Amino acid sequence: MPEKIILTLLGLFLVVGALTVVIARRPATNAIGFLAVLLAVAGLFALLNQSFLFLAQILVSVGAVVVLTLIVILTVNLKEEQFPKERFKGVWIVGASVLTAPFGWLLYKTLVSVANAFPKTQKGFGSAEAVGKSLFTDWVLPFEILSLLLLAAMVGAIIIGKKEQAYDIES
Amino acid sequence: MTLNPESFLALATLLFGIGAVGVMSRRNIFVVYMSIELMLNAVNIVLATFSRLHPDMGGSVIALLIIGVIAAEAALFLAMIVQLYRKKRTVDSDAFTDLAQRRLS
Repeated sequence: MPEKIILTLLGLFLVVGALTVVIARRPATNAIGFLAVLLAVAGLFALLNQSFLFLAQILVSVGAVVVLTLIVILTVNLKEEQFPKERFKGVWIVGASVLTAPFGWLLYKTLVSVANAFPKTQKGFGSAEAVGKSLFTDWVLPFEILSLLLLAAMVGAIIIGKKEQAYDIES
Repeated sequence: MTLNPESFLALATLLFGIGAVGVMSRRNIFVVYMSIELMLNAVNIVLATFSRLHPDMGGSVIALLIIGVIAAEAALFLAMIVQLYRKKRTVDSDAFTDLAQRRLS
């Protein structure tokens, strides 16, 4: 059962990366944990036979989002004394975990109650062809709306990122 | 195929819970941003799992659209972090209270 071993390794990778994101103090360390999580999620997509999602996750999340995050972290370039003072970080994290745990259990039970065993995979499941057929027949409107959203996000990011006086209309 | 869906759903729930804890307990705004991304990725795992369980490509298509939304969110959030840092010289989320408090001046 090689799949079980791969799943265990990916789960370990995912949990350790996620804990690094939440616990580590330096933003660059957090970004490396974030990278590990995104790679593990891509691996889970591959285990689920979603080959196109695996590719998209690697291209977009790992290739664009993590690189952008790292560039911004390196641009901001925080000094050690500029980190936010978090004196009771451990207490906060434990408290929030205790608060979240029952909701997480509820979520897990709800999800599992509608799941049964995986069926046999048909040929071509999760391939670019199957995803593309579904995307351009049943999901055309969400796809077009997403393109508008991306355009708006790009324009907004440029406007927000400008210098302060550039959009000060009153003066 | 010996995999069962429970393990995928458990991993997704764990990832979502860790992301929620990060948003609630940390003050560094980079950590808040990455925790939001963790929660979005947990949703993606659930969508892919159900798409596989119920052989239908709709779930994968929604997951693909969510990957696009994640990219848009990252661009906006990071531009906002840079702008806020330029203004206040800090990344402490407690310092960004311009919308919560009335400014006297």
